[in-house]
Amino acid sequence: MTKYLLRYWRIFRKPSVHYSLGALTLGGFMAGIMFWGGFNTALEATNTETFCISCHEMENNVYQELQSTVHFTNRSGVRATCPDCHVPHEWTNKIARKIQASKEVWGTIFGTINTREKFENNRLRLAKHEWARLKANDSLECRNCHNFEFMDFTRQSSRASQQHSTALGSGEKTCIDCHKGIAHTLPDMSGIEGWE
Amino acid sequence: MSLSRRQFIKAQAASIAATAGGLSLPAASANLITATDETSLTWSKAPCRFCGTGCSVNVATKEGRVVATHGDIKSQVNRGLNCVKGYFLSKIMYGNDRLTTPLLRMKNGVYDKEGDFTSVSWDTAFDVMAEKFKKTLKEKGPDGVGMFGSGQWTVWEGYAAVKLMKAGFRTNNIDPNARHCMASAVGGFMRTFGIDEPMGCYDDFEHADAFVLWGSNMAEMHPILWTRLTDRRLSAPETQVCVLSTYEHRSFELADLPIIFTPQSDLAIGNFIANYIIQNNAVNTEFVNKHTNFRKGNADIGYGLRPEHPLEQKAKNSDNVGGSKPISFEEYAKFVSEYDVKKASEISGVSEDKLIKLAKIYADPKIKVMSLWTMGVNQHTRGVWMNNLIYNIHLLTGKISEPGNSPFSLTGQPSACGTAREVGTFSHRLPADMVVKNPKHRAYAEKIWKLPEGTVNPKVGAHAVLQNRKLKDGEINAYWVQCNNNIQAAANINEEALPGYRNPDNFIVVSDAYPTVTAQAADLILPTAMWVEKEGAYGNAERRTQFWHQLVDAPGEAKSDLWQLVEFSKRFKISEVWPAELIAKKPEYKDLSLYEVLFKNGNVDKFPLEQTSKDYNNFEAKEFGFYIQKGLFEEYAQFGRGHGHDLADFDRYHEERGLRWPVVDGKETLWRFREGSDPYVTKGKGFEFYGKPDGRANIFALPYEPPAESPDEDYPFWLSTGRVLEHWHSGSMTQRVPELYKAFPDAVCFMHPKDAKEKGFRRGDKVRIASRRGEIITRIETRGRNKPPQGLVFVPWFDARQLINKVTLDATDPISKQTDYKKCAIKIEKA
Amino acid sequence: MNKLSRLSLFALIAAGSLLLSLQAHTEEQVATLRKGTELNKENPKPAPLQNPSNKDIKRARSYPMQPPTIPHKTDNYQTNLNANKCLSCHSRSRVEESQAPMISVTHFMNRDGNFLADVSPRRYFCKQCHVTQVERKALVKNDFKDVNEMLKKDRKAH
Repeated sequence: MTKYLLRYWRIFRKPSVHYSLGALTLGGFMAGIMFWGGFNTALEATNTETFCISCHEMENNVYQELQSTVHFTNRSGVRATCPDCHVPHEWTNKIARKIQASKEVWGTIFGTINTREKFENNRLRLAKHEWARLKANDSLECRNCHNFEFMDFTRQSSRASQQHSTALGSGEKTCIDCHKGIAHTLPDMSGIEGWE
Repeated sequence: MSLSRRQFIKAQAASIAATAGGLSLPAASANLITATDETSLTWSKAPCRFCGTGCSVNVATKEGRVVATHGDIKSQVNRGLNCVKGYFLSKIMYGNDRLTTPLLRMKNGVYDKEGDFTSVSWDTAFDVMAEKFKKTLKEKGPDGVGMFGSGQWTVWEGYAAVKLMKAGFRTNNIDPNARHCMASAVGGFMRTFGIDEPMGCYDDFEHADAFVLWGSNMAEMHPILWTRLTDRRLSAPETQVCVLSTYEHRSFELADLPIIFTPQSDLAIGNFIANYIIQNNAVNTEFVNKHTNFRKGNADIGYGLRPEHPLEQKAKNSDNVGGSKPISFEEYAKFVSEYDVKKASEISGVSEDKLIKLAKIYADPKIKVMSLWTMGVNQHTRGVWMNNLIYNIHLLTGKISEPGNSPFSLTGQPSACGTAREVGTFSHRLPADMVVKNPKHRAYAEKIWKLPEGTVNPKVGAHAVLQNRKLKDGEINAYWVQCNNNIQAAANINEEALPGYRNPDNFIVVSDAYPTVTAQAADLILPTAMWVEKEGAYGNAERRTQFWHQLVDAPGEAKSDLWQLVEFSKRFKISEVWPAELIAKKPEYKDLSLYEVLFKNGNVDKFPLEQTSKDYNNFEAKEFGFYIQKGLFEEYAQFGRGHGHDLADFDRYHEERGLRWPVVDGKETLWRFREGSDPYVTKGKGFEFYGKPDGRANIFALPYEPPAESPDEDYPFWLSTGRVLEHWHSGSMTQRVPELYKAFPDAVCFMHPKDAKEKGFRRGDKVRIASRRGEIITRIETRGRNKPPQGLVFVPWFDARQLINKVTLDATDPISKQTDYKKCAIKIEKA
Repeated sequence: MNKLSRLSLFALIAAGSLLLSLQAHTEEQVATLRKGTELNKENPKPAPLQNPSNKDIKRARSYPMQPPTIPHKTDNYQTNLNANKCLSCHSRSRVEESQAPMISVTHFMNRDGNFLADVSPRRYFCKQCHVTQVERKALVKNDFKDVNEMLKKDRKAH
């Protein structure tokens, strides 16, 4: 076995006799782009709402709930799709999240939440994952659109501007601390901080 | 010492000056009025004006005006709570457009059907009205006059109306709007138990382990009962709530088992549960053997449409809709065996898993179940059947008449039970469950009323829907509407309601506190005193009779329905309304007026004016010179005392927060038909359904049958109508309370977002909803409290500006004659 | 405003009211809530959907026992077996942080009038008593008189 590997390693290391260094570099570069492009296209394809709701678990549960909320339909028509909130926009984090998501493929195959009842039973666990993630990254995906620096408090209702200018401004609270259940139905909230 | 604001400021300035100068002055008060003689309010009790729950409220008055209301802490029903409507009761009488004088359509100083409403005196109003009634009675006899009353009438108003119509004019063409609301429940009770109204009471809420809502959105329609159900569910977490409906509504917020079923398929679900109970040996054999009979009801009974309608022509049993024959348990078991879970699931669209979960709640002998229903079951072309099917389930398992085991039919109007049903203001009824068809019952009534034999007409009169048809066809020509808004509430307004009111042959009188759309359609409008502007009594859904005093005076010339009915009777001589043969039996009545025969008969005028309360005014008693409310009540109570409908003495009700009948030996009855709780049950029997001669309740074999109209290519959507929490009684009072109006101002069309998307509608789009009968223009709502499934829309009917009943179908349950407002086929287009 | 334009305005108003009164004469409508639409006709312009007022300004109560109306929007506020969004600001333990008014003491009373450690479950569904309000003129003016108004009137009379 080691012998085999060693042999290939030698071939791999041996300088080319037929192609120029330039051609090889260029070829490698092209292949790299193609691979990279293909990978990213594939990655981006999985990063669309259409992909997300191609699973009935998503389509019938969370997507239904999203539709009547302000993140789906609102005054100006700017809307958030699933990945806007649930997939980090920055590349390394995105990849990390995607690797994590392979577990969801497992879930789909084995039907962890393939009925409404099963989904309801897992709702709290699933929601807790998202809350924890958003808490840990200081609600990064919220802030991709809702930038604290550009909030005009005079355009907010008085109770919103009060909270945002104090708790949020001082960094004592992050978005998800107060805005749970804004896009989906809440799980059983007993014992969750802020819902005692 | 009293101090005005100005004086106060002056005093304050003086005090500051004085303090600065080192002196002190006595202060009268801070910025608060403290003198008891000024701030004290007079508090009195009254039942709420709105729904059938029958909450008691405390009403504060000051100088002849209601200034505050809140939930009565002493009331067992609501224990200090009210819903948002109840909290705003203080404002219902003060809409700026209260009617304060009779209005008659006139042209050139005389009545004219096409004339403008002109203010007239009561004398003129009654002159014209009496002339029209007399003319009709002369030309057409008793069948030519009619009256449409209300489950919002007080007990004595309903009773006085029954006397005037059934004994005075000798017509049974009197029906309450409760026909639209409770008739199927009554049909269910009479067929299964032979006696009307629930066996249980609200105390069941604190005892049940499971609640099943069969077509009732209690969270909005019976909010205070919902607080009791919520209290039980959340404080005893093992309790379960199952909500069945054709669309998702607020009651689903508490549902452990939410079920959305295809319209009409509740019949299949009911039969499936019975089948499941039998298949899984969960029948309470001892109870069933001792206390029940099995019967098979006639099927294929039509849809209560006009007889020439193809659906009626096709129906096999449209001439014997209520017929049934005895069968054995085995035959019944075989009948329901067809409804296995697969079939029930296919018809209803509910998953087999959910259906079995629901059936298990009933089948488990350890779970005490309270079934609750209102309009989803009653406003149903098979409403009586559906009532029967729910009782079947409770009877098969013996889950009945004990705390927590309770099939409970809720009511919509504040006195649907107390007035419409117990007094018997229906076209076929007399007080205390008696009926005009039964000669013994007629004789009983004639005896109490001191009338000659044969006074009461044996012919069943026209029910609500038939009255409208007869008005249109010109068969009823003189018609009086009191305390309801039928031009908004009746189905198929354009084709079957408005034409009758505006038929040139007809004279229509509408008594109301406000100018409703029904008043608009009338020829004479009578201004009416409402709620605490008169002494009254209501009976709620748990058989509780509640009284209140007159707390304030009515505005202007407005007079109560009671005063109107009794005063109007003065204008008729017996010789003008009764045939000679009848008068011959009591010749001494010949020259008397109806007033003298019906109301100055020794019963009604038995109690002198002095017996009225010293603390409250009583306009009617003063007008007639005797305690008329007490006289009417005590005469009426004779019908039920000793017959399972016993009412307490009149005076006691003014002291109590209501009592649940039968009141025997001064004690109210909480659970009927069970020994130890109901004094009417024979000792040693355990249970006795004494409404039936053999003491046994009926279990009915009744099939699933399709609705009268279903969506098709041209009219692809189901329409269900209903109410919202903030509005009641067609919005005639609640739309005039600013806070309630602003909470839910306009009717909208609740629709599934996917349906909206497919139709190209956005939320808020203006749309035209049309059926084969009529149309309205409204707005699309894809969010909010009601979430219909695809293919169904929900439109509330409280909005006078959007009369959705122009669209609905006037198909009724053929047995109960109650309209199905929950199902018809419509199309929706952008307007 | 010059004299001429004032005159023409007056003429316009006069013509308008004449037109109105003429219309009222031909098809007299007493059903106040329908605002003049005949019974067999349809109002072609139903009011647009309107969002509840979201100004956070407390409103006067008609009497002390009146449940306060909600001065903010409540879209997607969940109140069900899982969660009660209203209490996440208005409960006793939350008001310090949220600075929202605490639910009143009556809400801790059970059916028998005893105070519980927390909100009584019978009061769980807030919207049965507390409702949002759209900003709109009342459909019909209501002549309810506040008790303070009456007291003031009394004092003037004294």
